[in-house]
Amino acid sequence: MKIDRRLLINFDWVFLGVVLLIGVIGILNIYSASHNLYVRGEPLYTKQTYWLLAGLMMMIVTFSVDYHTIVRHAYLIYALSIALLFLVSLYGDITHGSQRWLVLWGFSFQPSELMKLVLIIILARYFSDNAQKGYHLGTILILLAIVGVPFYMVARQPDLGTAMFLVLLFVSIVVFVGVGKRLFIWAVSGGMVLAPLCWFVLKDYQKERILTFLNPERDPLGTGYHIIQSIIAIGSGSLWGKGFLKGTQTQLKFLPEQQTDFAFSVFAEEWGFMGVVVLLFIFLALILWSLKITRNSRDLPGALLAFGVTMFVFWGIFINIGMVLGLFPVVGIPLPFFSYGGSSMVVLMMGAGLLMNVSMRRFILQP
Amino acid sequence: MFGNRDRLDNYDPKKFRKKIRVVTWLVLCAFFVLIARMWYLQIVRGDTLRQRSENNRIRIQEIKPLRGLIVDTHGDILVDNQPSFDISIIPEIAKDVVGIEDRLRKLCDWKEGGLFFEQSLLTVGKPFVPVRVARNIGRDKLAVVETNSLDLPGVIVDVVPVREYIYGKMMAHILGYVGEISAFELEGSAPATYRPDDIVGKYGIEKYLDGPLKGKSGGEQVEVDVAGRRLNVLGRIDPTSGYRIVLNIDSDLQKVCWDAFREKAGTVIVMDPRTGAIMAMVSRPSFDPNLFNRGISAEDWKELTTNPLCPLQDRAISGQYPPGSTYKMIVAVAALEEGLITEETEISCDGTYQMGNRTFRCWKKRGHGTVDLHRAIVESCDVYFYHLGEMLGVDKLAEYARRLGFGSRTGISLPGEKAGLVPTKEWKLRRFKEPWQKGETTSLSIGQGFALVTPLQLLRAYCALANGGTLYRPRLVKRIETEDGQTIGEFPPESEGSIPVSRENIDIVKHALWGAVNEPHGTGWALKRKEKDVCGKTGTAQVISLPEDDEDQKDEVPYRFKDHALFVCFAPYAAPTVAVAVVVEHGGHGGSAAAPIARRVIDGYFNLQQKRHVR
Repeated sequence: MKIDRRLLINFDWVFLGVVLLIGVIGILNIYSASHNLYVRGEPLYTKQTYWLLAGLMMMIVTFSVDYHTIVRHAYLIYALSIALLFLVSLYGDITHGSQRWLVLWGFSFQPSELMKLVLIIILARYFSDNAQKGYHLGTILILLAIVGVPFYMVARQPDLGTAMFLVLLFVSIVVFVGVGKRLFIWAVSGGMVLAPLCWFVLKDYQKERILTFLNPERDPLGTGYHIIQSIIAIGSGSLWGKGFLKGTQTQLKFLPEQQTDFAFSVFAEEWGFMGVVVLLFIFLALILWSLKITRNSRDLPGALLAFGVTMFVFWGIFINIGMVLGLFPVVGIPLPFFSYGGSSMVVLMMGAGLLMNVSMRRFILQP
Repeated sequence: MFGNRDRLDNYDPKKFRKKIRVVTWLVLCAFFVLIARMWYLQIVRGDTLRQRSENNRIRIQEIKPLRGLIVDTHGDILVDNQPSFDISIIPEIAKDVVGIEDRLRKLCDWKEGGLFFEQSLLTVGKPFVPVRVARNIGRDKLAVVETNSLDLPGVIVDVVPVREYIYGKMMAHILGYVGEISAFELEGSAPATYRPDDIVGKYGIEKYLDGPLKGKSGGEQVEVDVAGRRLNVLGRIDPTSGYRIVLNIDSDLQKVCWDAFREKAGTVIVMDPRTGAIMAMVSRPSFDPNLFNRGISAEDWKELTTNPLCPLQDRAISGQYPPGSTYKMIVAVAALEEGLITEETEISCDGTYQMGNRTFRCWKKRGHGTVDLHRAIVESCDVYFYHLGEMLGVDKLAEYARRLGFGSRTGISLPGEKAGLVPTKEWKLRRFKEPWQKGETTSLSIGQGFALVTPLQLLRAYCALANGGTLYRPRLVKRIETEDGQTIGEFPPESEGSIPVSRENIDIVKHALWGAVNEPHGTGWALKRKEKDVCGKTGTAQVISLPEDDEDQKDEVPYRFKDHALFVCFAPYAAPTVAVAVVVEHGGHGGSAAAPIARRVIDGYFNLQQKRHVR
C-alpha cells in the first residue's frame, strides 16, 4: 500500500500531543495514587504505561485504515461486539457483584467499553445510509434496536452507568444529525414519562446510589462515604494543592477507587485549584480541537465519527468530574485518557485514532 | 462502496457548522460549571475541607495519667498502682477471629464468658483497632498467652495500671475503691473534667479526693490511615500523675485495731486528742477493695450488697447508735456548768426512779446507795443521771450535746458521713406531731431513747474532754504532695471552738473517767493497766428494752436484739495522747465486750510508741 504524502502532511500532531500529554499526567497521577498500594505483579502505573502504548498501536491501526472502510464494515463490527457482550454474560468474570470482564489470554477486557466506540461507528454508518429518509416508524424502530440491544446487555451486567452512557452517546448523535421538532417533543415527553418508571427496575444498590447522591450524609460510612471523601480530598487541595505524593486523603487511602473513578480527586488534592484549571484547559483544548476536526470533516460519515468520538470524550470528562465533585451520582465512568483502566484507555485511543483518521483525510475525496 | 453514492455530494457542512457552534458553547458552559464548582470546593470551602482532611488523618489519643498513691503517716504505701493485663485482638491481623478466640479459650482454660467478644465490632470497618476481649487476666494466663504468642496472631497484651490496696479489707472503708465512671456521675460532674471511660473514686478517700488523685491526662497526636492503623506520632503531651495523699493513719496501729476487733460487726477509731488526727479507723465487717479493680463480678457485688451485716457501711462515720452510758458525760458537764450540781452533790440510788407512773431502773438492781458525781460516773449509776436529766430538761441537754459536736457531721474527709440525732421538744413535735414526754428525758439522760450518735462524734467529744476543751475536726488527711514529694496542701489541726465547759468541771469529769477504769467497781475495770492510766467510759445501748426479770436470759436473746457495747477512752490521764472509741454491735455489755478491745488497742498504741522511741 502506497502512503499518500498528503496524509503525512495533514497528520494531526497537535491532537496526538494533547492526548499523550493527558495520558502521561494520568500515569503520574496513578503513580501517586498507587505507589504505596500493594498489588500483585506489575505496579499500576507501569501497567497503565503499557496500556497507553497498546492504545497507541491500536490508534495507528484506526488512523491507518481509511475511516470509510471502517464505516463500511460497521455492521460486522457491531455484530462482533454484541457477540463479545454475549460472551461476557456467559463467561465473564464477576467482580463486585457484576459481570463486566472478559479474560482472554491473561488480559481482562471490558467489551462494554468497546461498545461505546462501536455504537458511534454504526450510527455513523446508519445515518450516512439513511440521511434522506427522515424518521418514520421503521427507522425509529431500527435506531431503537441498534442502541437497545447493547443497552440491555450492558445494563444487565449490571453496569447501569455504562448503559446510560450508551444512551447519552446515541441521543447526542441523533440530535446532532437532526430531529424534527414533533419527534423531539414526543421523545422528550416520552422519556420524562418513562424515567420515573425506571425506578422500579433499578437494583437496590442503584437506588441507594441515587438517594445518596441527593444527600451524601444520609449514609456517611456506606455509599455516601465515597463522595464525601472525594469532596474532602478535592476541597482540601485548596489553591496550590498539597503537592505531588503528599495528598493525605490519597496516601492514607481515605479516598476510595483512587486510581480509577476518583483519579481526578487525587489530582485535585495534590495540585490544587491551579493544577485543576490547567488540566481542565488541556481537556477543553482536546474537545475544541475535536470539534474543529468535526467541522472540517469532508463528508457525513467523517463528521459523524468525529462528533461521536468528541462526545464520547466530552461526556466522559463531564460526567466523571461532575461525579467526583458531587454534581452527579456515583457512576463508573472513567476520566478519558486519565483514569487507570486498560479497556477504557485502548478504546479511547482507538477513538482518538478515528478522529485523526477523519482529520488527515479531510482533503481526500473518496474515490 | 456502500450506500447511496451521491450522499457525498449531498453533504452540507454549513448545516453542521451551526450545530457545532452551539455544541462548542455548550461544552464551554459545561467546563465553566466544572470550574465554578471546583472554585467553590477548593477556594471557598478549601479551609474547611482541609480541616476535615486533617481530622480524617489525625487522631488525638488520650494517655491516662497514673492515679496518685495513698500513703500512711510514716510514708508506708497503702494504695499502689500495679500493672494489670488486658487481652485485645486486632481483627485485621488475626484474620480468623473466631478461631483465635477458641484457641485462647482452650489455652487459658477460660470458661464461657471469661472472654467476651463483641462480634458487631468486627463490622465497624476499622480492622486495625484492637478489640478488648478480656480484662485483668492473671499472671498465669499472661504467661500462657505470651509463650503461645506465635500461635495467636493479632492477640496483643495491654498493660493497664490498676489500684492495689495493700492492706485489703483492713482499710477498705478509709481508702474506698475505684471504678469506671457511671453515666450519672459523668452527668453530675463539671464539663471536661471526666471522660466516659475514666476510672474514678467511688468510695472513701478515693472518692473524696478524686480530684487531686486522678491527675491530668496527656495526649498523643497520631496520624492514622483509613484502616485506623497508627503511622506516625506527630506530638505528645505527657500525662501528669495524680497527687500523693498522706494520711494520718498509722498502718501498724490500724493493724492492731483490725486484729483487736474480732467480733462480727462494729468499729474501732483511734484519734489523737491533741490534734484530731485519725490514727486508725476500722469498721467490721469489711470488704476487699481489690475486688473492684476493673469491675467487680456480679456474684461478689451481690454478696456484698445482700449481706445483712452490710460490709460496705463504714460504721465509724455512718453507724448511728444510741450512745448509752457514754452520754452521761454530756449530762454531767451540762449539770455542772448550769450550776445545778457540784462535785459533792449526792443522790441516793435504791435501784429505781419514779417518773410519773413509770418506773425507771438502775442497771444495778439493788441500787448504789448514796453516790456523788464521781462515784455515779465510776459505777455508771443510772438513777443519779435520771435526776440530773430531770433537772436539766431535754432542750438544755440538747444544747450541750450540740456544742459537744453531736447532731451534726464532723466534717471528716470521707463521703457518706451521718449526722446522728440530738432530740429536742421541737424535733419531736415536728417529727411525730406529739409533745415531748418527761420520761423520754429520763431515757435520754442515760443515752437511750431517741439520741443517736456516730462513733466518730462520740470520740471527738471525749477528745475535747481529754485535751481540756477544744473540739477538733477529725482529720484523716495529713498532706497532699506531688509525685516527687513537693507539698501541695497541708491540713493542720482544725479547731472548731471550745466546748462550753470550764477547766475545773472538765477535770472533775476526767478524774471520774479515770476512776471508771482504775478504781474498784469501775465499769471499765477491764482496761486497768499499771503503767499508763487510762480514762474511759462504758456504754451499753439497748436495741430493745427487755422485761427486767428476764435479766438472766439475756444470753439467749437473738443476735439482732442484743445490746450494742460501747467504750470510749483516752490515755494517759495526765496528758492524753491517744483516744479510742469502740462499738461492738450487739456485743452486750460495754465493759465486757468493748473495753477489752480498747485495751488491746491502747496497749498496741503504747507498744508501737515505745518501739519507735527505741528505734
